[in-house]
Amino acid sequence: MADSVSEYVTLVSHDDYEFIVSRSAACISGTIRRMLDPSSKFSEGLTGRCKLDDMSGIVLEKVCEYLCYNEKNKDQTNVPDMDIPPELCLELLMAADYLDT
Amino acid sequence: MYGSPLREIHLIDTSYRANRRQARGIRGPRSALTDFLASNNISAQQIQDDYANRQAEAARQANEAQRQSVDPGAEQRRSPSEANSPEDLIKKRKRQQAITRIKNSKEFAKRKARLSGDHDPEYDDESLANQIHEERQRPQPGQLANCEICEKRFTVTPYSKTGPGGGLLCPDCSKKHKADEKKPPAKKRATGNIGRRQNQTNLLDGLTPHGTQSLLETCIKKVADYIHDVEDFGDLPPSLLLRLGQILSRRRAVTPKTLDLFIRPQYRSIDLFDCAKLDTDDFHKILASMPHLTRVNLRFTTPFKDEIIQYMVDRDMQIKDLHLDGANLVTDACWRHLFQKLGHRLQSLKLWNLNSAFDDETAQVMCKQCPNLQRLKLKFLHKTGNGTLEAISSLPFLEHLSLHYLKETEIDPKHLWSIMSAVGSRLKTLSLEEFELVDDKLLQLIHEQCHSLTKLRLSKNFTFTDAGLAALFVNWPNQALTYVDMNSLRDVDMTNPNGPEQPIGLASSAFVALMEHSGAKLQHLNIASCRHIPYQAFEQVFAEGKVYPELKYLDLSFSPAVDDYIAMCIFRCCPALQRLVVFACFKIRDIHIPRGLAVIGTVGATVKIDGVAQTETI
Repeated sequence: MADSVSEYVTLVSHDDYEFIVSRSAACISGTIRRMLDPSSKFSEGLTGRCKLDDMSGIVLEKVCEYLCYNEKNKDQTNVPDMDIPPELCLELLMAADYLDT
Repeated sequence: MYGSPLREIHLIDTSYRANRRQARGIRGPRSALTDFLASNNISAQQIQDDYANRQAEAARQANEAQRQSVDPGAEQRRSPSEANSPEDLIKKRKRQQAITRIKNSKEFAKRKARLSGDHDPEYDDESLANQIHEERQRPQPGQLANCEICEKRFTVTPYSKTGPGGGLLCPDCSKKHKADEKKPPAKKRATGNIGRRQNQTNLLDGLTPHGTQSLLETCIKKVADYIHDVEDFGDLPPSLLLRLGQILSRRRAVTPKTLDLFIRPQYRSIDLFDCAKLDTDDFHKILASMPHLTRVNLRFTTPFKDEIIQYMVDRDMQIKDLHLDGANLVTDACWRHLFQKLGHRLQSLKLWNLNSAFDDETAQVMCKQCPNLQRLKLKFLHKTGNGTLEAISSLPFLEHLSLHYLKETEIDPKHLWSIMSAVGSRLKTLSLEEFELVDDKLLQLIHEQCHSLTKLRLSKNFTFTDAGLAALFVNWPNQALTYVDMNSLRDVDMTNPNGPEQPIGLASSAFVALMEHSGAKLQHLNIASCRHIPYQAFEQVFAEGKVYPELKYLDLSFSPAVDDYIAMCIFRCCPALQRLVVFACFKIRDIHIPRGLAVIGTVGATVKIDGVAQTETI
C-alpha cells in the first residue's frame, strides 16, 4: 500500500464523515499536500487517509466542494467566487487558514 | 321614449342641412321635445339618415384609401363617381385650388429642392402637393380625428403618431404600431471579453484572471460582507485579523460597532487603516481594553486628541511602535510630553499628514528623547524643515529612514549629507521622496557610506544625472538590493522633451548599472516616468540569456520606449514576475501574457492569456 500511490485520498472529519477526493484536488491545500507527501513517512502519506480533527463534517464538505471547484476551474479565466453560506464562513475561514488553501 | 331623439342630437354637426323634409306618418304620442324639434325644422329621422350616410362614406373612403395605396392610378378612376354629387364637386374644386396655392408656395419649392436631390421618381409635383395638402388638413392637437387603423374617434395630441398611410393613429393603435416596429437587435458581447473597467479593477486588486481565488481569500471577503452580523471572531489568528482589518478599512466599514471585533485584551498590536468613523471615545476604548499594546497603527485618526496621548502617558503604556496618520489635533506640547515620558521605549515612529503641529523643535525633542528609534518615517509634516533633518543625524540606532517633505519646503542638501555621514552605514532601508534639487553629491555619499541597504527609494528628482546614478551602482560594496524605487528621475524641461545631451535622471547607463548590481536579488522595481531610458537600454537589460529570478513587481509606466517586443523580452527574463505596470506605454498593442502575471494599465491592447484572447472594450 505504501508504494502504490492511489489516485484518490480520503479526508475524515472529527465526527467521522469521510470524503473521497482526487489526490490532485486535495493537494491544492498546502497542509494536506505535506501530510500526503509519501517521502515524509507520515501515516497519512502511507494510508492516503487524512484525519482532520479540527473540522466538522459540514465544514469539510464545503472544503471538498472548494477543492473540486478549484480543480475544475483552474484553467478558466474570470471564474466567479464559490458561493459560501454566511453562517459557515467564519468556521470555513479558520479551516482555510489551517489547510493553507 | 326620450332616448332616441336625445341620442340623435349629439350627432348634429355643422354639415347638417335641414333642407329636406320627410313626410311620414307619426304614430303614438309625441313628446314636447319632438314637437320642439319639428317646429324648428329638425327631424330625428333625417339626423339618423345623415349619420348612416356619413358612416357609409367614411367606410368607402377607407376602402379607397387602401386601394389607392396599392394602385396609384386609383385617383383617376375614382373621379367620375366622385363628380356625382354636387357636394363632392365643390370639395374637389376647393381641393384643387388649395393644391394650386400650395404649388406656388415657398414651402413647396423648398421641399421639391430637397427631394430632387434624392432622385426619387415617385415624388412628382402632383403627389408632393397632395402630401402637403393632406398634412395641412390634419387636425391640430385638441381637435378630434378618426384613427387611421381602427377608425375610432380620438382627441389629437402633439404626441399622436402618424400611421403607415399618413393619417393619425389613436393611442391604442400607436402602441400596437410601435410594438410592431422592429427593435434594434441587442448589442452582443462576445464571451471572453470583459469590460475594461472591471478588468483593470481586478488586476489592480492583484487578481489574475486565472482559476479560482484561494478559499482563504474568498472566506475573508465573505466575512467582510457579513461583518455586521458577526458577533465575535473567535480565536482568529492575528494575520487573518490584519487582513480583515485591511479589507474593512478599504470598504470604509470600520465603525464603533465593528471596532469591537478587533479589540482583544490579550493582543499586543492593533492595525486599523481607516479610523475616520471612530470617535475620541473609541480611541480611549482601544487603549483601555488593550493594556498590553506595544504596537499602535492607526490611520486617518482625526479625532485623536491630546487626552488620548495623555492617557497613554498616564498609564505608562509599553508602546514600542507608534504609527499615526492625520493625528492633527495633537498639540506640539503634547507630542513633546509623549516623547519625554515614553520616548525611551519607542523603536519605530511613523507620522503622516500633520499640518498644525509638530515643528522642528518637537522633532529635536523627539530625537533627543527617543534614542532607541530604529525606524523613522515622516511624511507630509508641514512644519518640519532643516532643523528636523539636523536632529535626525543624531539618532544612534537608526536603521530605516523614510522622508517625504512638502515640495515647497526649502531644504539645505548639507543636512541630508550629514545624515548620510552619521547614520548611513547602519541604514537598511532608505527612502527620500521629492527632494527635487538634491544633486549627485548625495548619491556619492550613499555610495560611500551605505553598505547594508536592501531597499532604496530615490524618487521625484530632476537634478541627479545619469552618470551620477550609474556611479552609485558601479562597484558599490552594498549587497544586491531587493526593493528599488527610482520613479520620476528625469529632466522636466517642457521645451526639450528629449532632455539634454548629458542625460538627467535614470537613463541608459544608470539603468544598466542598476540591473547589473541588483538584478540577482531584485524583487520590486519601479522606474515609472524615467522617460530618458532608451530602447537600446531595455534591449540590453532584458536581452536573451539574462534572468532576474526574483523580480515580482515591475513598473514601467510612462516609459515611451517600451513596446510589444520589450514586453516579451521582460516576460522571458523575469520568470517570477507577478505584476507589470505599463500605464501610458502606448506601444504595447498586442501581447501574450504568461500565466499568473497581471499586466496593469494597457489601453485598448489585445491581450492574450494562455490562448484566451481578450480584446478590451473601452
